[in-house]
Amino acid sequence: MTRNARSDQLHQAVRRFAAGERAHSFSELALQITAFQREHSPGFARLCASRTRPIESVDDIPGVPCDAFRLARVTLHPEAEDRLRFYTSGTTSGARGMHAMRVTETYHELALHFGRAALLSNERAHHVVALAPLLDEPPTSSLGHMMAMFMVDFERRGPFDVRTPERWLINDQGVDREGLERAGARARERGETLLVLATSFALVGLLDALEGRELLLPASSVVMQTGGFKGKTREIEPAELRASVARTFGIAPAQIVSEYGMTELTSQLYEATVPGSALQAELPGEPGVYREPPWLRVVPVDPATLEPVASGEVGIARIVDLGNIDSAVAIQTQDRVRRVDGGLVLLGRAAGAPPRGCSLAIEEFMTAPGVRQLLTQGGSDLR
Amino acid sequence: MSDSEFEARRARLEPLFESARSLADPSTERGRHARARLSASSGLSPQGVDFAIARCLEIAASDLEIAALIRSTPTSEVAHVLLSANVFVAAHRAIAIALASSAQVRVRPSRREPEMAELLLAGAPGAFQIVPELSPRAGDRLWAYGSDETMDEVAVTLPPGVALHAHGSGFGVAVIDGPHSDAALTPLLTALAEDIALFDQRGCLSPRLLLVNGEPGFAIELARELALELGKLEQRIPRGQLTAPELSEIAKYRDTAHFTGEVFEGGLGFVTVGQAGAWLLPPTGRNIHVLPSANVVASLLPYRPLLTSCAFEGNAELRQALRRALPGARVCRFGEMQRPPFDGPVDLRNA
Repeated sequence: MTRNARSDQLHQAVRRFAAGERAHSFSELALQITAFQREHSPGFARLCASRTRPIESVDDIPGVPCDAFRLARVTLHPEAEDRLRFYTSGTTSGARGMHAMRVTETYHELALHFGRAALLSNERAHHVVALAPLLDEPPTSSLGHMMAMFMVDFERRGPFDVRTPERWLINDQGVDREGLERAGARARERGETLLVLATSFALVGLLDALEGRELLLPASSVVMQTGGFKGKTREIEPAELRASVARTFGIAPAQIVSEYGMTELTSQLYEATVPGSALQAELPGEPGVYREPPWLRVVPVDPATLEPVASGEVGIARIVDLGNIDSAVAIQTQDRVRRVDGGLVLLGRAAGAPPRGCSLAIEEFMTAPGVRQLLTQGGSDLR
Repeated sequence: MSDSEFEARRARLEPLFESARSLADPSTERGRHARARLSASSGLSPQGVDFAIARCLEIAASDLEIAALIRSTPTSEVAHVLLSANVFVAAHRAIAIALASSAQVRVRPSRREPEMAELLLAGAPGAFQIVPELSPRAGDRLWAYGSDETMDEVAVTLPPGVALHAHGSGFGVAVIDGPHSDAALTPLLTALAEDIALFDQRGCLSPRLLLVNGEPGFAIELARELALELGKLEQRIPRGQLTAPELSEIAKYRDTAHFTGEVFEGGLGFVTVGQAGAWLLPPTGRNIHVLPSANVVASLLPYRPLLTSCAFEGNAELRQALRRALPGARVCRFGEMQRPPFDGPVDLRNA
């Protein structure tokens, strides 16, 4: 069987799994994708060969470090077959990684499936706006692309052009407050639920611009926030941000839901707090506790040995994402996580080895003038 | 500078030199005591401490080097020294520069590694002062060593009129130009392994990258041989203790390198090989990334502000080109990266 034929087979199997068919277990699919990638990715084959234990379970699958995405092409197919290319922002490391996709349908289905479960609070149509810059063409931001997908899907009126300033409410002057108010008014008039998709730094920028004033949205509105601050604004503790946003918009804190995603992943995690959402109905979640979709599993591992830590212990997240069929089924992040009842708690990024004396720390190297310029490529990204 | 002034400054250095000489002698109680204290504070293995003292503590500087150090050092009312951790021998050179500048020298050691300054002072009582905090005034000079973050903090807190000589973060590179015979390569790689192993690579002179002007296959061959040399050296001079964040950085680096190229184990460290242009700065702890490069000068130029030392083996023309392109780095022979001439600060970035 050719590489692409096998890939297509796996894509179909994963999409069926996401749709609820369980012909294969998560572990079986993960190990099948691992074997496929090992056969067609020399880099992944070398990584697997470096492990002394045979790969017999999900816990054994080595994670491809996120750094690999900025140093090499982490795909099994040639560039000519790319249908989407997403670039990392690189704001913390100075360099930019690229995640290319050959098959977009799986990405779309998985993102929409779990996005609907986490964000849609009722059966009504939603009006969706993004506190993000206008999406570029072709999209280079995985987050922007996902936001655009949600706009089309959640409004339930068929395909339409989402690239209008009314939808993307960040411009050169910052957040378009009047645009957000107009979106709220429109949702009220039409009896729709307003969904605001936002980065954390956009929300902080808005709060700062409002200087304590309210910007009341319809009471049923839902806000999805994602991403860190990346030095773009002051940082605010998640609980404080949630409370401030809820107060400013006049909505319940539970209607502010955090998403965790990465350019290097196909799938996303969400808090299960939105009242009326499928995710919340399944098992009500606490703020700060992220729920994995059935086709993604986070394995907290020891930062030095990369072995799984005991349940409840803090480790760095190795993420096994069945959607990453043509790239890397397991990603090794530096994000600290702890498994708790009902999901995972994110504890922030593990700090690199701090500078000791005059030896150059890796973070310093990556952000040094000249080095950063040399390594930075590609378009804009919000993640 | 008059002869008498030169002699006065030279005389101020002598007690420090004598203290370093006595400390370097492992057969004396003082030498043994120093090794025990430095092992405990530096994280290096006892053999690593002994190796660092034997190879890098400048107890045999030539008169020419010392004269150059004195003549290139500006005078000051009071000379202040802020020391960094890790490369404990650096205290000796730093204090010598300060003594060449002023009869009044105040030293604030690193909180993580206060031992070396105290050991030097014990052998040269009164030559300088150790102070818990520095408080320079107008007309004074401050020589500060450490991370760029520390340098930034120092720069914004200095009162007006204080001259700052900031020596921030950096790293070293090694360059091999063209193919060499096995007989010629082995001593080069042995020497490079020693440059890497000194201070477990925590210093700003430590090589972290090896650029090879040659075919990718030659770079892989060199990496394999270098790993063997590092393995041999590990037997003789074991790596010391690394911190949990350092071990985590190494795990990430190793796996990234597995994905992007070749990885060879060299003792407890790794020699990795990447594709031309794919820079990967290895973490400290005896790791080095090897890259083929058809134009080493162009490859290094973007990193110029960070480069402190460049070991070179190859033709004289390229050596000169590297000297011109990297004025802040000491271009030297393999095995000499960690012991630059005792003629001033270890690197030339502020020269």
